Amino acid sequence: MLDLTDDQGALCGKIFADLGAEVIKLEPIAGCPTRGIPPFLDDRPGVDRSLYFLSHQAGKLSVTVNLDSPDGRAVVRDLAAKADFLVESFPVGYLESIGLGYAALAESNQRLIYTAITPFGEAGPARNYKASDAVTWAAGGMMFLMGQAGKPPLQMSLPQAGLHAGAEAAVASLLAHFPRQVDGRGQRVVVNMQACIVWTLMNEQAMPIMHGDYLRRQGVYLGSPKLRRKIVFKCQDGHVAMMITGGAVGAGSTSRLVKWMDEKGFAADWMKQQDWRAWTPAIFMALGERDLRENAEMEQQVERFFATMTKHEIYAEGARRGVLLGPVNSAADTAADEQLAARDFFAEVDHPVLGRALRRPGPFAKFSRTPLDVSHPAPTLGEHNEPVYHKLLGYSAERVAELRAAGAI
Amino acid sequence: MRRYALEGLHVLDFTWVGVGPITTKYLADNGADVIRIESAAHIDVLRVSPPWADGQPSSINSSQFFASYNTSKKSLTLDLSKPRAREIALRLLPWAEVVTESFTPKVMRNWQLDYPHLSALKPDLVMLSTCLQGQTGPRSGFAGFGQLLSALSGFYYISGYSEDEICPPYGAYTDYVAPRFAACAVLAALDYKRRTGVGQHIDLAQYEAGLQNLAPTLLDYFANGRVLGAQGNRSDRYAPNGSYRCGDEDGNERWIAIAVADDRGWAATLDALGAPAEDRFATMAQRFEQREELDRFIDRLVHDRSADELTATLQAAGVAAYPVQTCLDLHRDENLRAFDFWHWLDHKEMGPSPYEGLQHRMSATPGELRGAAPTLGQHNEEILGEMLGFSSGEIAALKREQIVY
Repeated sequence: MLDLTDDQGALCGKIFADLGAEVIKLEPIAGCPTRGIPPFLDDRPGVDRSLYFLSHQAGKLSVTVNLDSPDGRAVVRDLAAKADFLVESFPVGYLESIGLGYAALAESNQRLIYTAITPFGEAGPARNYKASDAVTWAAGGMMFLMGQAGKPPLQMSLPQAGLHAGAEAAVASLLAHFPRQVDGRGQRVVVNMQACIVWTLMNEQAMPIMHGDYLRRQGVYLGSPKLRRKIVFKCQDGHVAMMITGGAVGAGSTSRLVKWMDEKGFAADWMKQQDWRAWTPAIFMALGERDLRENAEMEQQVERFFATMTKHEIYAEGARRGVLLGPVNSAADTAADEQLAARDFFAEVDHPVLGRALRRPGPFAKFSRTPLDVSHPAPTLGEHNEPVYHKLLGYSAERVAELRAAGAI
Repeated sequence: MRRYALEGLHVLDFTWVGVGPITTKYLADNGADVIRIESAAHIDVLRVSPPWADGQPSSINSSQFFASYNTSKKSLTLDLSKPRAREIALRLLPWAEVVTESFTPKVMRNWQLDYPHLSALKPDLVMLSTCLQGQTGPRSGFAGFGQLLSALSGFYYISGYSEDEICPPYGAYTDYVAPRFAACAVLAALDYKRRTGVGQHIDLAQYEAGLQNLAPTLLDYFANGRVLGAQGNRSDRYAPNGSYRCGDEDGNERWIAIAVADDRGWAATLDALGAPAEDRFATMAQRFEQREELDRFIDRLVHDRSADELTATLQAAGVAAYPVQTCLDLHRDENLRAFDFWHWLDHKEMGPSPYEGLQHRMSATPGELRGAAPTLGQHNEEILGEMLGFSSGEIAALKREQIVY
């Protein structure tokens, strides 16, 4: 796979690399912009020190090439002639304009699957729009739903949109691989990042049409004018996520919660007598007046109850009792999590240049016969120039020297 | 030339709720025959969750929440807690190349439908098991929703204005991270099986797939000892960055998202907003330094403007911007429309209903929503009769005994 993405698609090549594909990341001579994304190892900026780069470019090979140079573009054409996949996230039309569009590359490699990641597709009025995480998060509808009423809608504090688009590009590229196995022909695929964000909105998409209204942000509550249900509760040392629900979805869990509260003297009589199976409508619906009153009382009482425990105590005891809840964990909590430790999830990877081992998330799935390979570090800039130019492309030493002198590689 | 990428693939789908069905939807929309096995005895909770076609939970077959994730599939009802139902399910195993399931691990084990049992009958089987925390480990039996997993895996902690003011993402966020990884896993294992004849089992924890999207944060903790907390719309790369309130429209609040990456972008922003240059915000360093003042400055410039017009003006100047879309706005969004994103499909009971379309487009073998979601057991006769050869009398008896249920 030839990887010509930046932060709008790095995860595509990462997934392929995890699956064992040889992924060549083509970088400008000054380095991929993702090498400059903070934070950095030891908070010291440096071309090999971006934690984003060390995370999402791991397992790839790095080759430098200058796309502004005709000789550099010839190198890309040579590579594309040997590639199974190409993924890119340049502005729409840019690669076509320099002779590296799908049609041009497919001429010498009809097997090529060419996946273009775009913020807004290639047909609409925004096809040439600039994007960022906040901007695509907003365009896809998730930003409007995060935050307090009256205060600015929010992004997440770690960019997400480019990751969704990158993973979608991996799915699409793999799908396109199947017909190629039959007829030997590749194709071009376009990924739409805005659509990827719409696909994170759960059941909200048809609400405005079927229920006549759309949800609004309300902090730790699910919100719409007639709906107010708390989904995050304070506890002694932080927060716990939980939904107090009835019906088929939550009656069992809520009954067990009430029993737990009762043992500690926190359950009111009506809570013990409540038929939680009949306590409908379900989670995302407007509540009647009595439901609203009961809901508010439950929420207050749960928060009093949770204030007596830490989030880890609540998680452990909740899990034991079958109460559906989850602690609001930080990176430190995740790092110490016993489930991840039991599954040996985190990977320890030596980094040759940095001279130290880095701990990072392990495989996205456990395969019984062909385990994912997460043992490789992210490449240093141009680390694989020699093997790729000489061995893969068969360039002579003279040719490489010429290309280098011309500023092409 | 094939019409669909996965034509000829047969999938026996025991999944339910979010991650599993969204994963098999990728297969079904791309031409695979996917038979979903479900039951009124342990109903897919999405079938009893809104939105509903008529705004009320009047029928088990009227949830668009369920419908969205189950296009192009067939539904067979079997109450798998009954041995006879499991026998019938197993009669579909020779037909299937891929089996998927998303229960807590003990469920398929107890039904003797787990990978060891199924692969003994069909050694080259590709099977996906996806649950919240994985097939092994002390929390493998953890049940719940993606909301809890999103909190547990760390997404809630980094969502909000500050650590004291958490504002989680809407919904079961990790349910919308994991399916792309799960689809990649199934497709890669299927490709391997078709090349080598060797099948395998995939154990995909929604938790571990979700953590891929938090990787830099975990490295930051492991390597630098830093715990990232919620920090509003603050960015290390863009300033200004975030959402700014524009003029209301039709009595509703309207915001614009803006992200400025460099000095050139800042000059273009000021130009587009008709504002004079300000010495205090001249450099990126100054803009990072004075984020709050900068946000107030932008707020004042945009507060009575139209978000749509401002987006066009800023983008014409090369600045990243877009209106902060409500879900209603998304249905009218010109760019989603140009991508042919929304589809109205005619559902057997719900009638024409709005479905989210695909997130990518293939030039030669594009997937599509090949049909509205099935009603519960819509394909019982077809599958039991035509595929498995049961007579109509036998099918009636199976229904009476609530084996087909």
